[in-house]
Amino acid sequence: MSVNDFWTPFALLPFLNALIIGISLISIWLIAALGLTIIYGTMGVINMAHGEFIMLGAYSTYVLQTLIGIPFLLCLPLSFLILAAIGWVIERGVIRTLYRRPLDTLLATWGLSLILVQGVRLIFGGEPQYVGVPSWLNFQIQADFIHLSGLRLFIIVMAIVMVAVTWFLLYRTTLGICVRAVMQDKEMAASFGIDANRIYSLTFCYGAGLAGVAGSMFGALKTLFPDMGGGYIVEAFLVVVVGGVQLAGSVLSASLLGELNSIFSYFTNDTFARFVLFTLVVVFLRIRPQGLLAEKMTRR
Amino acid sequence: MNGNIYHNRKAQWAIYLAAFAALALLPIFFDSPFTLNLLARYCVFALLAVSVSLVWGYAGILSLGQAIAFGLAAYGMAMTMQMQYQDPVSDPIPSFMLTNELETLPLVWAPFWSTPIGLILTFGVPTVFFIVFGILMFQARVAGVFVAIMTLAMTAAWYSMAYDMQPFTAGFNGISPPLPFQIFGTEVDPYSAGAYWVCVAFLAVLTLGAKFLMQTKFGLIVQAIRDDAERARFLGYNVAYYQVVVFALSGFLAASAGFCWVLIVQYVSPTSLEIVFSISIVIWAAVGGRTSLLGAIIGAFLVNGMQSFVGDELQQVWMLILGAIFIGVVLFLPRGLAGFFELVLGLFSGRREPQKSDWNTGRTSAVTKESAE
Repeated sequence: MSVNDFWTPFALLPFLNALIIGISLISIWLIAALGLTIIYGTMGVINMAHGEFIMLGAYSTYVLQTLIGIPFLLCLPLSFLILAAIGWVIERGVIRTLYRRPLDTLLATWGLSLILVQGVRLIFGGEPQYVGVPSWLNFQIQADFIHLSGLRLFIIVMAIVMVAVTWFLLYRTTLGICVRAVMQDKEMAASFGIDANRIYSLTFCYGAGLAGVAGSMFGALKTLFPDMGGGYIVEAFLVVVVGGVQLAGSVLSASLLGELNSIFSYFTNDTFARFVLFTLVVVFLRIRPQGLLAEKMTRR
Repeated sequence: MNGNIYHNRKAQWAIYLAAFAALALLPIFFDSPFTLNLLARYCVFALLAVSVSLVWGYAGILSLGQAIAFGLAAYGMAMTMQMQYQDPVSDPIPSFMLTNELETLPLVWAPFWSTPIGLILTFGVPTVFFIVFGILMFQARVAGVFVAIMTLAMTAAWYSMAYDMQPFTAGFNGISPPLPFQIFGTEVDPYSAGAYWVCVAFLAVLTLGAKFLMQTKFGLIVQAIRDDAERARFLGYNVAYYQVVVFALSGFLAASAGFCWVLIVQYVSPTSLEIVFSISIVIWAAVGGRTSLLGAIIGAFLVNGMQSFVGDELQQVWMLILGAIFIGVVLFLPRGLAGFFELVLGLFSGRREPQKSDWNTGRTSAVTKESAE
């Protein structure tokens, strides 16, 4: 193995293409991290099963599409609802008793993820499944240096839509004010008549639902495996933590990490880029443990 | 001492010594090489669980990165054993490198020609890595969930390295040294009682050492930091120093487990650096009771014993059971089996009220602090 096998020299057009791949990567990481940001930011719950929620979203899309024949675009809101319902059950059954014990939520949701992976494997088998991509997304944008499939473009658009909707809900509705109030100070919010437990339930449902939508799209992008969720969880957590557990922070950190990752992969390769990126994040968290955009927020 | 006998130090030492004596005597009853090897594997897992118990139960640092030390040491040991097999003149480089088109031995492999240096690297590299990583985290007062996520990310990073650097690590296939480990002119047969005793010796010496350390002033300060890092800091203790030392010690324990692992299985692959494996270690410690080293050992034996007992046909259901056990333990038995024993023994000793200084009851406030940092 010589140096040139490992190190790709710089060339402008392929490099620009790498940057565009980076935008696609940003949208994927952002979509995966969005639900986590909401859940962790509001409730302080480390949901290790978030990747499995994404996986469930993908499988519910598969079921809706293949077995019932519902068109892809309609599967997105439906898997949002399905995952929100599952999230509600899980919040009631497991998470509720573990508030204020974040490390224990981490462990309990890890146990949950084992159950979800194995449950899906028992039902659907371990072999890969596929979600069909609708024909209107079957196009390629090809210019000099741009290669982008219609589906990836769709995911980028959806990332923007999902962030916009979440932003609107959080910052432009009464419910959002309640959520942010609970986020800042649960006791104080409660004394103003906000039912914090209800807010927590709703937040968890919403976060799980977002994972469901994410799963629909990732299912179309890649093959479905029962343990596909594990591939997203670390990146998603890093996006959340680097961003400072905030909506705007997550957007910023996903952009930064996604672009850095595709730049590193351009010069070296995917796995080495991952190593460098994760190491950089660890070093970054040492310098700014509060993340990119954290103000002096009230602690839970 | 009229209190709970669980807290009686003499009783604790007696139980610990009895447990290790029993472990050491097991080869008398089981002479099948397969069973001995299986038991030795449990001992390795138990040592890993002890390393988690030390860092998480005693120091309150939830490390999801124990697999890093385990895996690095396992690779070091496998490289040492592989190079014992190679001949400097006729067969200087391992065969998997040839298939990966390497013509010369890579520089990182060269020191492993010498078994003593190989062993020093096996134990030294993971420990030094944990010291550096610990300094990086604890100097910045990173705590709680952030430690968990940073160690998780680091584990993922090392896994992808081991997986990707195929010419150096044989990638997914892993390294399987053809011959057992040779030291002092003898061969350590992985299926012999001798190899089993090596594992038990490591487990016993390191566990007892950790237990002794946690009873000294150093250990008490570590536990004080776990209960309230801020208060310990105000009392003038260098919190980061104590955290780094405990973290590094747990890394050393996990590295010893990695050494023993390759000694008895003669194989290493990237799975020993996997996140799933790394968190499983935490599960074992949690089931047995993180605040008790012996509890962690029992947890590791119990969970892995059950897994072997369930057998191959039921492996599918096993993960369901494991997940359910884990949720159940977190929800209803946060201090594991050891905590349960403590409770039961407490009922017999007449002092029914729980200890006020108990970590578990004081956890709400400790956790609030953790997320604050």
